[in-house]
Amino acid sequence: MSYIEFHDVVKRFGDNTVLDHINFGIEKGDLVTLLGPSGCGKSTLLRCLSGLEQVSEGSIILDGTDITNVPASKRNIGMVFQQYSLFPNMTVEQNIAFGLKMQKAPADVIEKKVRDAIAMVELSGKEQAYPANLSGGQQQRAALARSIVTEPSVLLLDEPLSAIDAKLRKALQARIREIQQELGLTTIFVTHDQDEAMVMSDVIQLFHAGRIEQAGSPVEVYTKPVSEFAASFIGSYNQMSREEFRTMTGEVVPAGNIVAIRPETIGIFGELPEVDGEGFVLKGTVEGSIPRGNVLRYTVRIGQTRLRVDALFRSFHMFDIGDEVFLFIPEHDCLRIPAVA
Amino acid sequence: MSKKARTAGDKGAKTPLAAKIFLGVVALYLLIPFATTFVYSLFVEWTDVLPSGFTLRNYTELFTNATFWLSIGRTLILCLVSVIITIALLLLAMYVVVAVNRKLGRFMQFACMIPYALQGVILSIGIISLYTGTGTLLSNRMVMLFGAYTILVLPYIYQGIRNALNAIDAEMLIQAAEMLGCGRFRAYVQVVLPNIISGILVSSLLAESIVFGDFVLANNIAGTNYQNIQVFLQANMDRSSGLSSAIVVIIFLVVGAVTATVLKLQSGTQKSQKE
Repeated sequence: MSYIEFHDVVKRFGDNTVLDHINFGIEKGDLVTLLGPSGCGKSTLLRCLSGLEQVSEGSIILDGTDITNVPASKRNIGMVFQQYSLFPNMTVEQNIAFGLKMQKAPADVIEKKVRDAIAMVELSGKEQAYPANLSGGQQQRAALARSIVTEPSVLLLDEPLSAIDAKLRKALQARIREIQQELGLTTIFVTHDQDEAMVMSDVIQLFHAGRIEQAGSPVEVYTKPVSEFAASFIGSYNQMSREEFRTMTGEVVPAGNIVAIRPETIGIFGELPEVDGEGFVLKGTVEGSIPRGNVLRYTVRIGQTRLRVDALFRSFHMFDIGDEVFLFIPEHDCLRIPAVA
Repeated sequence: MSKKARTAGDKGAKTPLAAKIFLGVVALYLLIPFATTFVYSLFVEWTDVLPSGFTLRNYTELFTNATFWLSIGRTLILCLVSVIITIALLLLAMYVVVAVNRKLGRFMQFACMIPYALQGVILSIGIISLYTGTGTLLSNRMVMLFGAYTILVLPYIYQGIRNALNAIDAEMLIQAAEMLGCGRFRAYVQVVLPNIISGILVSSLLAESIVFGDFVLANNIAGTNYQNIQVFLQANMDRSSGLSSAIVVIIFLVVGAVTATVLKLQSGTQKSQKE
């Protein structure tokens, strides 16, 4: 039995079914990411767990207790919102103390816990500042401190970093993960950013159109997508029909499948390579290259098929547009995935 | 003191000269009617090219007139009571909209906009014909008058409260408080209300000026039974134009004093949030 369990959870808004029979469990102390595009139902599921939305059908169990009909304020679940939602008329200290006051904790306990929480999110010196005088990152850290100081049984994070610039986001991702592991806090993180999900999660639940498309560790979800959607959403897989793949490689793919290949598994060479292991060596022409941080993404045309190929960005080893190149695609990296019917 | 508060406090220091001159000219222009009315109220007689002399007679007459003071007092009471009742009712109604059922917001907006469309004459005649002779508390002219003012100021205060609630995203704040173990109504009172006081105060200023300027409702519903300042002004218009000017000057000063007090309260609430 898991710490949190969703049993056949359905949520409808009018005729629109946003969550369609969701079933899964979350283990205590795990950080689980609900990943998916906008409108896939991930935030709605989080809000159902928080109590801010009522489920239409099904039940939610937390630590053995059915909380489906328990009001949000009685669930002891912490939540950090995308828009920070700090109380503008209260200082950082007062914001963080708010939940403890609701629990009627003694003043000395409140003082100590608030001090510890402020230190934990590295906001010391900002105790008396009002939210309007804090940067986005500081506000989000204050919101995080406010949610964890009450020692909730679960922490929910609803796209908490989406309004923060890239560099700070990376630092906050790491800090949230550290704090979560330090406290052993069962945490559910909602994001549409696959990189963020990879970095932070113990388990990823990939959502698509109100259903869970795939669940597993970040490595599993990344390397073994089970559907066309999973392959397109994670890892920017090259996807091709069985006919395209056969034309390109001569290999026959079982009916009802497509082939997906991650760009970084494909080797790119200026001359015919000597390769180990089974795979396909193909000749193609470079049609484009885009630097993406530490990798260069080439577009290589083979016959009528275009493949994305990632290579480490090393200036002494680059191909120009129009160059003839050889690609090596290892057989075991050509994933056969059921095609959408 | 925070950086933001300091900037706000020093903003006058950095205003360019041209802007100052421009603002000064506009302020002077706006003050012309008031200044001329004031000067006119000080003249003894003005039937020739120049007035025959200056006097404070109009003011001493007004200041020693109990009816005048009563009408000012009544207007202030009408203003205060109707504004407070409207604010209280709207805050409760908006709680339902924000925390219980958002869809009622459209209905609220429609209901609160109706008084805009009602002319004072129509409103007062309608109220009188509807409630007179019903034998209930509502048939009391005083109750009618206070009720009519409550309706009159409804749209202004509604707009102010609604804008303030939208500006702070009240729904989200209540949800955040709920997740911290706070009940919805308590969250509304403890978290939302302190953040919209400033907006409520500004909208109550608008309401105040509407009530102070009203003649039709007060005259039609209460008449001389509960004479407000405009009815008093009307009654004295024929006596002396100097006296009328003095009444207008005093109305202006009273409204100015109320406005200054409310603005001071408002800046106080904003300051305590920023510092």
